[in-house]
Formats: sequence, C-alpha cells, structure tokens
Amino acid sequence: MGEATSIWEKLGFRKASGVSEAGWGQTLFAGIISLIYFLPVLLIIITSFKLQTEALSIPPKFMPTNLFGLIPDAYVFSPTLENYTSVFSRAMTSGGAAENTGFDRYFFNSIMIASVSVLLALVIGTLAAFGFSRYPLKGNDTYLFVILTTRMLPAIVVIIPVILMFRVTGLSGSYLGIIMLYTAFNLPFTIWMMKSFFDELSLDVEDAARLDGSSGLKVFFKICLPQVLAGLAATFVFGLILTWNEFLFALLLTGIDTRTVPVAMSQAVAGGGIGVLWGLLAAIETLFLIPVFFVTFFLQDHLLRGVTFGTVKR
Amino acid sequence: MTSTTAQTIPTTFTTVAPDNWKLAIVVGLVVSLLACLILPPNISFWIVGAMVAMVAMTFVVNAYHRHYYGGLLVSPAIAVLVVMNIFPLLWSLGLSFFAYQSNQQTIRFVGLANYVKILTDDLKAPENWANLTNTAMFVVLTVTAQMIVGFLLALMFAKQFPLRKYLLILVLTPMMLSVVAVGVFFSNYYDPTFGLLSYFIRLFTGEQFILMDNKAGAVAGIVFADAWMWSPFVMLLVLAGLVSVPKYLYEAAAIDRVSGWRRFWSITFPYIRGLLMLALLFRTIEAFKMADLVILLTKGGNGTMTISYHLIRIANEQNKTSEGAAISYVMLFIVIVLTNLYLYIANRRTEGA
Amino acid sequence: MTARTKLQGLATAAGFALALFVGGATTASAEDVTLHMAGPDWPPMRIMKDMFDKEYKPASGNKVTLDIDFIPWPDFYTRVNASLTSGEKKYNMAVSDSQWLGAFVEGGYFRKINDLIDADPDLKKAMDGMHPKVLNAYSTYPNSTPNFYGFPQFPDILVSYARKDIFCNDEEQKNFKAKYNKKLPCTGEEFDDIDWDLFGNIGEFFQRKKGDMLAGKPADDDFYGIAFQVGKGYDFSTTSVHSFVWQAGGDIWDETKAPSGHAEGQVNSDVAVKALDHMLSFIKYMPPVAKTGTMDIFKSDELFREGKVALNVDWVGLGEASLDPKTSKVSDKLIFGKAPGTKGADGKVNRSSQIGGQPFVLTTWNTDIINKEAVGFIKWWLSKDVQMEYASKGGQSAITEVYNDPKYVTLRPWNRAWASQLDDQKDMWHVPQFFDLLTQQQDQYDLAITGKQDAKTTLDNVAKYQEKLLTEAGLIK
Repeated sequence: MGEATSIWEKLGFRKASGVSEAGWGQTLFAGIISLIYFLPVLLIIITSFKLQTEALSIPPKFMPTNLFGLIPDAYVFSPTLENYTSVFSRAMTSGGAAENTGFDRYFFNSIMIASVSVLLALVIGTLAAFGFSRYPLKGNDTYLFVILTTRMLPAIVVIIPVILMFRVTGLSGSYLGIIMLYTAFNLPFTIWMMKSFFDELSLDVEDAARLDGSSGLKVFFKICLPQVLAGLAATFVFGLILTWNEFLFALLLTGIDTRTVPVAMSQAVAGGGIGVLWGLLAAIETLFLIPVFFVTFFLQDHLLRGVTFGTVKR
Repeated sequence: MTSTTAQTIPTTFTTVAPDNWKLAIVVGLVVSLLACLILPPNISFWIVGAMVAMVAMTFVVNAYHRHYYGGLLVSPAIAVLVVMNIFPLLWSLGLSFFAYQSNQQTIRFVGLANYVKILTDDLKAPENWANLTNTAMFVVLTVTAQMIVGFLLALMFAKQFPLRKYLLILVLTPMMLSVVAVGVFFSNYYDPTFGLLSYFIRLFTGEQFILMDNKAGAVAGIVFADAWMWSPFVMLLVLAGLVSVPKYLYEAAAIDRVSGWRRFWSITFPYIRGLLMLALLFRTIEAFKMADLVILLTKGGNGTMTISYHLIRIANEQNKTSEGAAISYVMLFIVIVLTNLYLYIANRRTEGA
Repeated sequence: MTARTKLQGLATAAGFALALFVGGATTASAEDVTLHMAGPDWPPMRIMKDMFDKEYKPASGNKVTLDIDFIPWPDFYTRVNASLTSGEKKYNMAVSDSQWLGAFVEGGYFRKINDLIDADPDLKKAMDGMHPKVLNAYSTYPNSTPNFYGFPQFPDILVSYARKDIFCNDEEQKNFKAKYNKKLPCTGEEFDDIDWDLFGNIGEFFQRKKGDMLAGKPADDDFYGIAFQVGKGYDFSTTSVHSFVWQAGGDIWDETKAPSGHAEGQVNSDVAVKALDHMLSFIKYMPPVAKTGTMDIFKSDELFREGKVALNVDWVGLGEASLDPKTSKVSDKLIFGKAPGTKGADGKVNRSSQIGGQPFVLTTWNTDIINKEAVGFIKWWLSKDVQMEYASKGGQSAITEVYNDPKYVTLRPWNRAWASQLDDQKDMWHVPQFFDLLTQQQDQYDLAITGKQDAKTTLDNVAKYQEKLLTEAGLIK
C-alpha cells in the first residue's frame, strides 16, 4: 500500500488499515446505493418540516424550495419548524392553550435509560464473554445456549411475572427497574457477539504474555480488549439501537415520570382524536434519531479502523 | 489455559469466613424465612435480596481463592439474567400447566391440557398451524433478504474509499428508527391514495396501485420494510468481521497471486463465518417474534397473521395467560431445534475446515 | 464448587422472593388525597383534567389531586389491562371501553357502585338523569340489569360527515336528480333522512377519476363518494356490520337473553347474511385502501379531511380534527347529519347503531376516603353546568338536561345529529369473552371485506365459533 498521504487523509479522513483501497468510482457507486437506501428516512425527515395539510399531498411535495422556478410548484412545500416546537409544547385540546407535552422529560429518560443499561450490559457481558471464551466451564455451550434462549420468546409472555416482580420490589416506574431489565435484555447479544470476537483472536500473544508473568487482568486489558475494539463498538451500537427503540417493557414498566420516547410517540399516531399527525410524528422520530445517529457516527471510526497485528505487536 | 490449582482451603462448616458459602446459604435461608414471616413483603424482599448478595459474595471469594476465573467472570451476567429473564421465563413455563387467565382470580392445575388444546382443538389447532406456517414463511423470506442485502452492502463498504463513513451512516440509519414510525410511514408509502409507491406506478400505468390487497403483496410489503430496517444489522456484523482480517494475510495472498475467489474463501470467510452465524442466529430469533410491523401494516389480514401477533392477542387482549404460555413454549421448542441445527451445522463446518 | 451450585443458590433465593408476591399496601392521608386515573391521551380527557385542576373544590375540605396517567390510545388497553391483571393496584379510576366491563368486573377489578349511588341522593339524581341507552351500555353488567359500574366519560356516536361544496353544487345536484330521480342532500336536515340506498347512489355517483369534472372543477386526484369503517383492527368492521344487521331486523348473539339465546341460527340468519352482503356492496365505491382491510376510523377520517371522499360515516369524537383548518382541507365546507339507516318495508328508516365512547370506573381496592373523594368528584363532573362547559370545550354529555338544552346543539356542528341519535344506540357485548368474540369475527369479516370469503360462510364461521365458545363458558345452554 502506498504511503503517500492522500488529500482525504489531510482533511482528517482516517484511512482504515487492513482493507484495500478503492477510488472515487466506488464512492459514486456506493453513494447511489446508499442514497436509495436512505430514501425512506429522508422522506420522514422531509415530512417533519411539513404542515399536516401538506404532508399527504399527491403528487408528493418533496422540495422545500422551487430552486428559482426549476421545480414545479406542485412538488414544493413551505417548510416550517412548527412540528419541532409542537413536540415539546402544543395545545392538547382544540382551542386550548399550548402546554408542555412532557417530551423534554421523555427524551432525557430515553437517553439516560438506554446509555446506562447498554454500558452496564457491555461491561458485564464482555467480562462474561471473556470468561466463556478463555475459561470454559463444564457445560459451557449449554450456558451459552440458555442465555440465548432468553431472547427467543416474545416479551409479552414474560411480562406478567416481571410486572409482579417490579410491583413487590417497588421497581415499577423507577429508573433502576427498567435499566436492570434492559441490561438483561442486552446481555445475550453482548455475550455472544463479544465471545465470537474473543474466539477469533490468536492465542499465541496471550500465552506469550502469560509466560512473561502478566496477570490475567493485564492480559485482558492490554492484549485482548484492544484487539476487539471494533467488536465493542459494534456491540455498543447494536445494544443502543435495540434499547433505544424498545417498546413493550417501556410501555408497561415505566411511569409517567420515567416514560420513554417510543411509548409517548404513539401520541402522534392516533392520539388526540385524530389519526396520524404526520409532521409531528416525523419530527419526533427525527429528533429521536439524532442522538443515536451521532453516537453511531463517532463510533464508526473504531468500527472501521480494523484490527491489525501491528497494534498488538507494538 | 485454565490455571485452576485445586488447593482446598481448610474451612469447616462453622468457620465464619468470607468464602464459606455453605454457612452463608444456611444463614441466608434462615434470615430470609424469618424476614418473610415477620416483615411486610416490600421490606423482606430486599432482605432476601441482601442474603442472595451475601451468598453470591461468598461464592465469589471462594472462587477467587481457587482461581476459578471462568465462574467469576460469568457470574454477574448470569445473576442479572436469572433475576430479570430466566425467573419470569420459568414462571410462565409453570403457568402453561395451569388453567389460568390473568384477569381471573382462579388457578387450576391441568397438566398438559393447554398443549393438547392448542395442538389438537378443531378450531384452534388449524389457526395455530396457519400462523406458524406464515411465521416460517416470514422467517425464511426476511432472513434470506437481510443476509443477502446485508452481505452485499458490507462488501461494498469493505474497501476504503473517499466519503465512506458518510455513506455508511446513511445505510445504518434505518435500524435506528422506531418500529412504530417505520410501520406507520411504510403504510403511508404503500397506501393506494397517498402512497409514493402507488404514485410512481401510476405515472406508468395511470391506475392507482393497491399493493396490500392480496397475500403476495402484503407479504412483500412487510418483508420489504423488515428487511430494509434490519439488513444494516447484518451488514455491520459482517463489516466488523471484514475489517478485522489482518492485512498481512492479504499481502501474503497478493504475493502468492491467489485468485479473488479463493482469497475470499480461505482468508476472509473464516473471519466472518462466526459473525455471519451470529447474524443469522439473531435475525432468525427476531424474525420469529415479528409482530409490530404486521400489526401496523396489515393487522394480520391477507394471510399475514404471525404466531407472535396471535400470541399478543391471546395473552394480552384475551388474557388467556396459560394458553399463551403454552403456545410460546411450543414456539420456543421450534426455535431451539432450529438454532441448534444452525449451531450444529456451523460447528461441523468448523471441524471440517 | 460449581457454577451449578451457584445457580441453585440463586434459584432458591428467587423461590423465596416468589413466596412474597402478595398484596402491597396503599395509604392515603386524610388531608391529601390523590386519585390515580388511567385515561387515554386525547382532548376529552385533557379537558376533564384541565377543568378539575381549575375549578373543582372538594366539599370535604380535603386537598384532592386528580393524577391522570395519559396513555396514547393505541396502547391504552395493553397498559390498563396489564396494570389491572398484574395486581399492581396502581389506578383508583380508569377509563374503559364499555365492552371491557365484563372481563374486569368478573376479575374483581371494577367496583360495583350501587351502594355509592344509594348512599348519595345527588349521585343518584345524576345517574337517573342520564340517557337510559347510554347508561345501560356504559354502566350495567350483566347488561341491562340494575348493577352499575361506570359513569360516562365521552359518549360517542356515528354521524355522517359530508362536503358542502360537493353536495350543494348545482351541476352535481342536477345530474344526480337526472340519474337517480332523488334529491342530492345538501343540508344537515336532508342528511338526517339518508338511508343506505341513497348512500349507495352517492357512492356510485361521485366516483371520479383524476381530471374528471367534480363540482365544476377538474378533480386533482381520484375522488370517491363514500367511506365508512371496514378495517381489521379492533372493532373497525364489527361496528359497521352490527349496525347493518340490527337495521335489517337481524341480531347478533344477545347477551341479555343468555343462557337461552343462541348464536347459531341468529348470527348467521338469512337476514344477517343479507345485511352483511348489503354492507359489502359499498366497498367498491370506497377509496381502494378499503380492499386491503385497513380502512379504519382514522383512515376514512384522513381520506375525508384530505378531500378524497364526499361522505364519510365516523365518530363525532374525531370531529374536531375536521373542523380545524390546520388538520383539515375541508374545514370550511362541512355538513353533519345522522348516520344512514335502512329503510324497512313500512317506509320507516331504522337507524340502530353501535354506540361508541367510554365510561370511566372505580377500582375495587380503593380505600373509603378515596371512594368518598371520587364520588365527590364524579358528582361535580356529572352536574349540569360542568357538563355544559365540558361540551362547550369539545366533550359530549349523556345527561338529559344538558343535551336537551337548546344551547347544546349550537356548541358543535355535529351536536344536532348526535343528540337525535341517542335513542338508536345499541351495544354489542359486555361479557368477559368480549375480546374472543370480537377478534374472531373481525378476522372473519376481514376475509369477506378483502373478497376471500362470501357473507354466508363468514357468518356461519362466526356463529359456529361463538356457539362453541359461549357454550363452554356456560352462556349458552
């Protein structure tokens, strides 16, 4: 691979190691595919800037401006931020005064609950994965399979015992309860995912380190973890995404103070004596997308950096 | 690898030591029992919890003394899972042997009657089978679509090219959406009057296009939305595997002038095989639980009723807790057989390779 | 030491925890009383909460707070059902569809209120002053017996929503007269006389392709004459089917005749089959989404508000959205009339219709002080002035002296049609098997609506299922 720094690297684009290079041709190809793939999301984002009366117009109004007359008026809508303010404050009855919808709280709850529980699951799960990978127990596969089994049943089946448990412990409607539940919810995937990464690592380096007298702890932190950063990033992203959008547990086990956005979102689906409030729903979804979008975006670097033995050999 | 030096520490049963788990269990049991009898449940629960923690701690100390790292590392995860997942699962397994409706106060042991009912009842069994067949159809279609699309997308992003990270995030976005929003907006895209699909087809045919009025169309609509949403999941897993292939292997292959196809099978594939398996496993499990999109797009009409949606109606709407539990355990059995089959094949491949 | 013994230890402890799952205690101080209520998140509930906060002064002198858990409609049942059946005892009051009464009464969650009514003359007066059909549907279980449970929160009724600009257009009026020799209705009073034949004529007449002339202008999109609910979700086809069956002189399984009444022979009688066929005959005139089985109350309302439909039959509870120019393209051209009926052989139009809306109830675990304050609140809520104010803000009232007040019909454009249809309201079932009965027939109706099964087979299947289910439940003997 040539060592000359390209203009892109000067601009701060990190070059992933361990993968081959392709040029602008690939950018064009991937760009077209990606944009097509992104189109349904883009339409949601566009809808979030439309008033209800324009949201369903046919032909679809997809341009916020007529580009100096280039686009026929039938395809142009007048963009508005009203939906975004409505997310947080709007009249809840016809002719009533605007009041707080509680969404500031719901956003805070979603961010708090998802991030804490995913991090917790990542810590506990990675330790367990390392254990399963390096110190197999008697019946190791059985344990792993039982852990997987907990993800196989629809949540509705286990909900009644969980509600009872939460009621007795006073966890119902508390942050602690839903965080613990989500942690458990994320563990199976975290464990399986991280185990498969640990399994792929070459044992030679670890064994050499052990012979040099490194403790198990040191081997784990200095040798194994750096090699599975891509895996950690991917697992975190998956956990975050799944938890972020979890619905049923949140519906039944959060109170009005700990409610998360996916539950409150249905307000715009058939709330308020009206069907779907398209602009409002789109605005909620767009706002709700932003945090997880950026977390994923910034973790991508780790995800795409790849693992080379250079980092391990030192 | 396991450096378990089995040195038994000489503790007798009565020694108060941090690793005497036998004594801890006895003390824990006695205190818990007393607490349950004397104190109100919302207090005694925490005392029982503390006792469990105490016993767990003695196990930990004991294990540490004996260099039992495997057990130590997995125990927090197992503890959380047992309390939050396995315990409720066993509870509902127990309920499947009773005649119990969550909105009634009576409960009666009926053995396997619930299972017999859902599998043989002349009205219920055909419905359950139809729902199961539909579910199987969805699983096959959507998982296949996700694996293919996800794999191709990952290959597309496996090479380094300008703007890659900005394009990749676009493709990852669908799975970050809430399923409610996806369902509602796709039902709009498919709507014959307001929908984009109908609009574009109409530009060519001049007729409004109704996608969802027949089984093929309804299934296609649901599978498309689901696969669109979750292919990025497969892609990300495969991509994480692709970028972890050590560079020097490719460099060695280049020196040896290995063909692209062979390079893929002998170098790349071993690195992503585990992750592909994982993707297949988790997407299959999730596809078996598919209900949200069905509810939002068709309400189960036009032959799209899935077992999971059926379960929601049985267990939630109609409060037939026991019958729901029985159906879900039959479903669990099928998923377990299937996943074991996957794992068996995967392991055999590993050994063969 | 193995991991297994560790697991066993944990399992034992969990077993203890299990033994503890028995009732928790709720306390309320004499001065501070909080009424926890589960309610759907929509204007009638928001108005109730708002009026309570601003105006309610408890006679007892206690400080009473109404804490409403506003739950979005689509998940309302799931949440309330899970809360009640898990024994969480979280709510003191709950809004409930009238048809949920049986299941929750039999389960011991909803409190019988006869003693409260008898002990309080004011409350008795309020209950007696309610429209008997509404009271019967919303409050009695077993249905039509003097065992009361609920108070009306929002009594909802189906009405016709029509487009003035379309119906009152001279050209359309003339053409319609020429084609059907009938007057195309143009005012609310004219719509009050509408029957299904005229409704069908309207459906056929106003089917326009994009570019066809519509009320003097070329239509900018395909246009349809009629819409009503024929969807697979919740009760979105049952409502329509029941109305057709009742109007034709048929009947559904009648819970008040249990256990001697039957489903077989009644549900699938020739009259009922004809009625279902009659209903199905309108689908071809509706917007094409009806053929997918997802034409629910929200979809038909949306099509109407977007100006794709000339005449829609829907709940008045969705009316505010049509009136509001922010959500409706037809807000300034609305006519409201009664929902269509079936003209009998004697020339009289039968308008029997499925009642909508919800009562709210008290739960069984309330302490005396909670019940006392709840009754105080309910008496205030059902008083004439409060109900009148509620109606002026967008609610509906089933209290006779309120809806008979001449001012009432002026509060909302649909109130005239609403009040005049109260006598025609009927309700389906309140038995605990409600959801069983409902989902099975919704599935069957959906097959008929999407053209996969004829009316006779559909109703035979429904009757067979109901006969078996209700016989097992002891409701048919």
